[in-house]
Amino acid sequence: MVAQAIMLGIIAGIGILDSRIFGVLMLERPLVIGLLVGLVLGDVQQGVIIGAQLELIWMGIAGIGAATPPDVVTGGVLGTAFAILTNQGPEVALVLAVPIAVLAQSLGVLVRIINTYFMHKADKYAVKADFRGVTLMMWIPPVLFFLSVFIPTFFAIILGADQVKNLIEAVPETILGGLKVAGNLLPAVGFALLLDMLFSKKMGVYFFLGFLAASFLGLNITAIALFGACIAIIVNIVINNNNNQGNGQNVNYNNLTQGEIDFE
Amino acid sequence: MSSPKKITKKELRQVFWRSFALQGAFNYERMQNLGYAYAMIPVIKKLYDKHDDQVKALNRHLEIFNTTPAISTTIMGISAAMEEQNANDPSFDSNSINAVKASLMGPLAGIGDSLFWGTFRIIAAGVGISLATEGNIFGPLLFLILFNIPHLFIRIAGLRLGYQVGVNSLERIQKEGLMEKIMSITTTIGLVVVGGMVATMLKLTTPLEFDIKGAKVVLQDILDQILPNMLPLIATFVVYGLMKRKVSITKLTLGIIVVGILLHWIGLL
Repeated sequence: MVAQAIMLGIIAGIGILDSRIFGVLMLERPLVIGLLVGLVLGDVQQGVIIGAQLELIWMGIAGIGAATPPDVVTGGVLGTAFAILTNQGPEVALVLAVPIAVLAQSLGVLVRIINTYFMHKADKYAVKADFRGVTLMMWIPPVLFFLSVFIPTFFAIILGADQVKNLIEAVPETILGGLKVAGNLLPAVGFALLLDMLFSKKMGVYFFLGFLAASFLGLNITAIALFGACIAIIVNIVINNNNNQGNGQNVNYNNLTQGEIDFE
Repeated sequence: MSSPKKITKKELRQVFWRSFALQGAFNYERMQNLGYAYAMIPVIKKLYDKHDDQVKALNRHLEIFNTTPAISTTIMGISAAMEEQNANDPSFDSNSINAVKASLMGPLAGIGDSLFWGTFRIIAAGVGISLATEGNIFGPLLFLILFNIPHLFIRIAGLRLGYQVGVNSLERIQKEGLMEKIMSITTTIGLVVVGGMVATMLKLTTPLEFDIKGAKVVLQDILDQILPNMLPLIATFVVYGLMKRKVSITKLTLGIIVVGILLHWIGLL
């Protein structure tokens, strides 16, 4: 149990550092976290399934701008781990992961506040042109970020697994069924967040195009993405260029094809 | 006078690797500033020998900075080109280096966020989730690969473009309308995929049945005949509408859990 708790803590640490020092390779996403937790706890399939369900809910949550989003890493690791450890399905993972993510967010905020101190120290080293000092100040905060998720995850697994099991066993059947329904409903939040980013009156029709292609034609997501790409290129490049040639405004287009911009 | 200072491939490679740690010391006061300065250290060391020049350059890049991490290398490339000019040309106005950074980070973040978070991530996740819901481990792996191919390509190409073509080219690309075209194409694909995902990944059905003169009528069958996946569509737009009315995400999430339990309890879902 201790070994597993340590490994889960490390997974959470890698996840939180993904958007810090790994350039946001998407290791932080529940889909990947679910796989890793499944590997550690010996139930890869269940881990992947839970990860997919959590990804659907949190798909709209991304660290955009200066805002600190809910900590989907700690939420994802603990939600998935507790669900696997207590032999429960994705719905239990969801209900545990969502509040955990909101709670864990506050630790992330705390680290970002503490980091201001190291930033001011870096200013002082910069005045002395001390590159090593600046570099050191740059590398202490990632350690804090790591600990801010490793410690809570480790102790939650060590101390919490039995409590969570008792808690879930005490929950009546109707509520568990309701939680399953809630789990199916929650991805609507993720989709709404994405619409908030992408939807506009002018572009809205494309959303319905994808929806109808899946609903009536039964196309899968890969097919829809590829058809979508073709349509986007037809509308934005082919038709646009025809228009330009029609009214003699093809100057811009020609500039690009003549290779004035050297991408190499 | 000594020979002109020149940045080589070696420094650019170092900037590339260091760019991954951009948000390592993220703070609320100047955000990604420390990560940016850290990435620029190889360039500063290469270009400036004098203590004072090094201090000035370090301070420049410790100013506030915030943009989409994946697109930051483009700006770093431009900064590197301008630092090089500054090191060789005494009449160069070094203030312009930060002026350019400040003027680019906003617009590029807008493009980067919708490109990476709104499109590449959504397409990759859509394909990954559709496999992963069946417990297939290629779901998460495909997700990582599909996202990181364009991601790493833009990190590398952006750094080169930024350094070699400099600040003027970006202005020109913007004038050509290329940016708008890319934005428009990626938003279109993103929306089509989200539409498809609402239909395939939001699983909502009602178990309601009526007895009309002895004949059993299943409500879900009627809904499916009108418009398949009607309930997922309605649910998404109800939540979207609430979001537009500034209901917080936390409240929405907790609200949905309560509503879900209630609707199941009264037998609607």
